[in-house]
Amino acid sequence: MTSRFALDLARPSRRHWLGYILLAPAVILVALIIVYPLVVSLDLSFQKVGIARLDQPRKEFTLVNYKRLFSSAEFWYACWVTLKLVTVVTAVCFLIGLGTALLVNHKFKGKTVARLLVALPWAIPEVIAVVIFAWIFDSSFGLMNWILVTSGLSEKMISWFSQPVPAFSVVSVVLIWKGYPFVSIMTLAGLQSIPEDFYSAAKVDGANALQRLRYITLPVLMPVLGVTTVLVVLWVFRDFSIIKVLTDGGPVGATTTLSIMTYEQAFGFFNFGYASAVGMVTLVFCVLASLLMLGHRAKAMY
Amino acid sequence: MKRTLAQSIRLYLGVGVVCAILIFPIYWLFITALSTTLELKALPPTFWPDPPQWQTFAKVAEERPILLWLANSTIAAVGSVVLSMFVSVLAGYSLSRFHVRGGNSMGLFILTAKMLPATLLVIPLFSIFRSVGLIGSIWSLIIAHSTLIIPFTTWMLKGYFDTIPKELEQAAMVDGCSPLGAMVRVILPVSAPGLAATSLYAFVLSWADYAYARTFLTNSQNNWTANLGITTMRGEYVTDWNEIAAVSVFVAIPIVVIYLFLERYLVGGLTAGAEK
Repeated sequence: MTSRFALDLARPSRRHWLGYILLAPAVILVALIIVYPLVVSLDLSFQKVGIARLDQPRKEFTLVNYKRLFSSAEFWYACWVTLKLVTVVTAVCFLIGLGTALLVNHKFKGKTVARLLVALPWAIPEVIAVVIFAWIFDSSFGLMNWILVTSGLSEKMISWFSQPVPAFSVVSVVLIWKGYPFVSIMTLAGLQSIPEDFYSAAKVDGANALQRLRYITLPVLMPVLGVTTVLVVLWVFRDFSIIKVLTDGGPVGATTTLSIMTYEQAFGFFNFGYASAVGMVTLVFCVLASLLMLGHRAKAMY
Repeated sequence: MKRTLAQSIRLYLGVGVVCAILIFPIYWLFITALSTTLELKALPPTFWPDPPQWQTFAKVAEERPILLWLANSTIAAVGSVVLSMFVSVLAGYSLSRFHVRGGNSMGLFILTAKMLPATLLVIPLFSIFRSVGLIGSIWSLIIAHSTLIIPFTTWMLKGYFDTIPKELEQAAMVDGCSPLGAMVRVILPVSAPGLAATSLYAFVLSWADYAYARTFLTNSQNNWTANLGITTMRGEYVTDWNEIAAVSVFVAIPIVVIYLFLERYLVGGLTAGAEK
């Protein structure tokens, strides 16, 4: 039986069957653990339900979660916080990521080590990064307060986690520190793909360093940078662990992004229906944002 | 192209200063672990503890269930990597070699799956796991981490298989291999570096998770992963920063070692999906 089966697949007319057979386990698993939960979530978002149990009959269809969502100030504030965080973190990640990549792209002794070190924060688990910065920004004995007070930049110790703006800043710092290595790695990979000849030719034509950056480096990097932007934006959008462990969304919602709000509603207040609605809207935002940023190049992402 | 001495000095200085600033937090974690609690509360801060308190590492290893946490993280990571790699290798190979109908929409779907917020998926998964009694079990993590991993590994592997010439299996089939045999005996061995890089990347993804562990395992201390365990050490009033730093070093080391030795492969995997 087995040998006949194998023989069959070897026939050119049957060969594409093997393609489907190989794809099947992934399709089945993805359907079970990603698609089905998504459908459940969509279904929950249209029910007024607390802690959902699948072995209980579903509640009646209602739009109450979405109505409550769009009329709640808390939701719009979370959107605003998310937007601020995404903008700040992405911008600074690119500044540091591009800068470091251009720096270690030079040829010099020890460049391999420098490249390793520059992207090292990528390898630190997010929760550990939070531990490090929670200690650096500790209000009584933290290093940052000592630096600020000693250098005269601040007159008194700042209690970082009990005021909105400082808390938001610390969250941004941790996200940036964890996020810039990815930009750096991607940019460096892009830079390596530019042939040396391009630069030699430009030099012969009399282009200075700035012009070479503007007319050769950036245009070649553009596609890579486009994809990288989307991935960084989505990463900030979805971040849970850094904000949850660092500030838990506080103080007074100053660091509550849509992701944190979703989780808080589900596992803090046990409103699974409402939380699913927030999560669904977040997902729609993620998809829209990446389509807007990539447009027709969306396909380049996979 | 030769640099002058002044340019060289500027370059090395620049690289040195930038690396020092960006890596400083990691240095600070070590220093904190090696300081006494008294030194941690001193101003100005101690930049090099004297003598270094190496025994803090022994102390936390003895007093806290770190080995258990690390073992749980490893079980969850290995389990989800094995499960995900099994389906991803087959699917990646299929997407790379066969023009299956729906292959493109599968690609689009996987792209969307990468955008899924874990905080959205964790809600239905919690309901599902509760109905089947998986809450508190390490299996809940293996399954949940697979939802994070499969979208990445499938496309990393498809990209890797794309770089291997089709002539390899054609030659094998001329020599009498079945299509499946050609994949198992010829293509998979040739792809070993790609498979290793992808598995390690998947391992890192699983090791870093906090959201799922916190949601499914909070009430079963015996199954706590390292990340979940660490967060419980931050007390409401008193936090022993040297001890929490020492535990953090234990948890970070596996990933940092993987990174330092295999950076080239990891980076290859990271950029493979996006560079096209």
